[in-house]
Amino acid sequence: MNSATKKVALGTVILAGLIAGAASVAAAHHGFAVFDTSSQKTVTGTVKQFEWTNPHTWVWLDVPNEKGGVDTWGFEGMSPNFLGRRGWTRKTLQPGDKITVTYFGMKDGSKGGAFLSCKLPNGQEMKMFGASPTEDN
Amino acid sequence: MISPGTALRSIVFVALASAALTFTAAAQSFKRPAPTAADWTALAKLPDFTGVWEVTMGPRPATGIINPAVGVPSMRPPQISLTPEYAAKRQALLANAEQDNQSANCLPPGMPGIMAQPYPMEFLLTPGQVTIVIEAYSMVRHIYTDGRPLPDDPDPNFFGTSVGHWEGDALVVQTVGFSTQTEIEPHVPHSDKMRILEKFRLLDPDTMNIETTVTDPDALTAPYVTNRILRRHRNWTIAEYICEQNNRNFVDRNGKAGINLTPPGAPSPAPK
Repeated sequence: MNSATKKVALGTVILAGLIAGAASVAAAHHGFAVFDTSSQKTVTGTVKQFEWTNPHTWVWLDVPNEKGGVDTWGFEGMSPNFLGRRGWTRKTLQPGDKITVTYFGMKDGSKGGAFLSCKLPNGQEMKMFGASPTEDN
Repeated sequence: MISPGTALRSIVFVALASAALTFTAAAQSFKRPAPTAADWTALAKLPDFTGVWEVTMGPRPATGIINPAVGVPSMRPPQISLTPEYAAKRQALLANAEQDNQSANCLPPGMPGIMAQPYPMEFLLTPGQVTIVIEAYSMVRHIYTDGRPLPDDPDPNFFGTSVGHWEGDALVVQTVGFSTQTEIEPHVPHSDKMRILEKFRLLDPDTMNIETTVTDPDALTAPYVTNRILRRHRNWTIAEYICEQNNRNFVDRNGKAGINLTPPGAPSPAPK
């Protein structure tokens, strides 16, 4: 190994030892490893069920397929503890609601993903993230 | 020759004496006296930490109010300086970072990560103790302020054993006894010699700063210091968080992370 390569190697070792501390992760329960976060997608369908559970809420959406039938897609959302402090309730999505979901898709192509936001039948947009209310003290 | 009865009594005596010695040497030997009315009254003189506090994201102050006496909380994520041995351990963990994550099976982080989850915390002040009810994973930390010493040989666990005292308006807490099953930050390992020092202080009536200093002579070449801002909400309550209520995340036999997208009520697919 020549001296230039040695310097690079040493630099790599030093950098490996010195790393930035992580800021707190928005999705605390686990990482986003299974989602393709490089692009946001949308899909329109009918709510089959809205699960208001920990560690994640789940939106089950019936989406028409090319065979003339319907597939049930699953979207993972933030905890109800988090959403409940940001305008969501367990009744925000009702079975039968026609909504358009913005999401990160699955890396393996399966039908579903990470729920980012949706447009309700009344036109209102509901987001997963965002700051908690500031004037509620 | 010793009669069987005498032998039996000798054996029983030795067994009981050994049990007594073991019991008094056990970790739970400090006995807090019953609180007096004066103890309860004294709590009113402490800074008001009561209530439910939102853990704000990242190191930036939530309200923008800076207390010059405390200093400016760091605006950038701080650096972690690992020793070469622990830098190598971290590289090994990162090789499997995407696949293996202990939180996928609902295992909570230990200290200090449990204090950085995006869920609120509730502080309870009682004679001789500060109790922190942590909504994330429904966890609890006990901080003993009754004058007991830090244990010198604590059982290693996720949150350690915490002893604290009041220095003016600041609660200063030392914690020792951490299991190496936990991490300082995701994929950042520590040794069983890790120690954590925390200083809890109000910046204004509804803003708390927690300065956390992690030291570890085997894993860190310098202390790892973070500042986190908490904001009190008088109308918030701690909600339940049962992680296994509807956990659809898993790590399969090969250590690969996945999600179960089978809709509720549909038959489950055959296990892989």
